[in-house]
Amino acid sequence: MSELLFFAICFVAMALVLAARFVVGPSVADRAVAGDCVETLTDMAMVLFALYSGRAIYLDIALVTALLGFIGTTLIAKYLEGKL
Amino acid sequence: MKKANGAAVVSTMIVCYIFWLLVTGQIVEFFYGEASWQILAAGLIVSFAVALFSARFFIHDDTFFLANPIHILKLIGYCFGTFMIELAKANIDMAKRAFSPKLPANSGIVKVPVNLDKEYAQAMLANSITLTPGTITMDMAEDGNGQLYYYIHWIDVASQDPEEAGEMIKGTLEKGIGGIWK
Amino acid sequence: MRIVIDVLIVLSIFFAFAGVVGLLRMPDTFCRMQSSTNVTTFGVLFVLIGGFLYALFYLHNGEMMVKCVILAVFYFVTSPIAGHAIAQAAYLHGVRSEKKMACDAYGEDLKKGPPQPQSAEEPAAEAAPAQDETAKEESET
Repeated sequence: MSELLFFAICFVAMALVLAARFVVGPSVADRAVAGDCVETLTDMAMVLFALYSGRAIYLDIALVTALLGFIGTTLIAKYLEGKL
Repeated sequence: MKKANGAAVVSTMIVCYIFWLLVTGQIVEFFYGEASWQILAAGLIVSFAVALFSARFFIHDDTFFLANPIHILKLIGYCFGTFMIELAKANIDMAKRAFSPKLPANSGIVKVPVNLDKEYAQAMLANSITLTPGTITMDMAEDGNGQLYYYIHWIDVASQDPEEAGEMIKGTLEKGIGGIWK
Repeated sequence: MRIVIDVLIVLSIFFAFAGVVGLLRMPDTFCRMQSSTNVTTFGVLFVLIGGFLYALFYLHNGEMMVKCVILAVFYFVTSPIAGHAIAQAAYLHGVRSEKKMACDAYGEDLKKGPPQPQSAEEPAAEAAPAQDETAKEESET
């Protein structure tokens, strides 16, 4: 049971490491991609925590976070392209 | 942008309703016999309202293509067979590339011709190419003769000849998709 | 069954870690995007398969099974769209790689403008580097 929590901590640690790319990224696209990946990794940690605690509400939160991350990335892309 | 007809609205509404049932967990209660018909009717009305506004973005031709179970089976076979094998190969290659000390990256943008005529097939091929790590479809364009091209950013440009590069990037994928959307 | 689930999740952590390392080490923007695809495909897929099996065999929770499948389908539908949107936007915004690209067909065709059948092709093909002329001739046929 508790190894699920350990795997979730692994995912969160990778997300924290990836925040370095979010800080130093030389262009806007780098930051957008890094932010997308951070969102995905925390999402996976949330899925593992939902399995650990046995509640489906964390999966709902993961779905909503995935949706918002996709919309945000697409919006940044549209803005960079100059069509917004 | 074409106007939506009634069949497109109906098929979009069916897809929306199935998705709504799955997300809100109504389908589990439906199996246990606990779902009340008021909630189901409310979902139907909301999905109809969504379909009225969004059908013209999704459905342009071949409205009830996926109503045929043979086509659904072919689609599932493509997703879990051909596409998974390509995805696994590309993932392992990309992982090797990331862990190797020299970073063997020889990137470039190539232009490959595509011979699919349905819109759904073109969109599905572009998404499949983008999902395999190592290749990203950047844009698609037609030249004067009606031949369709994809611009693909490729991390390891093995050949710059369009036909040969296309065969290396999307050979099996294009055959699989062409088998589905005839 | 417990071991199978753990192996699946460890495999997923391995691929996500490969993606993160690639995202930190790759030399230019587009290569980093390629590595981010590694995170959103196999890093996501195996966790959700493992979650599906765990909810099926240990929690006996139908809602969590359905939601794991929906999350997997959702990631596999939306991540390529965000991928090509951000790649095209980065190119059009002016991001180029620091090293020289092996070939850049998209930039040449953007300089040429919208394609015409015959006439506009000729001067651009001469201005292109010598290594791409075979590609030009192939694309015209």
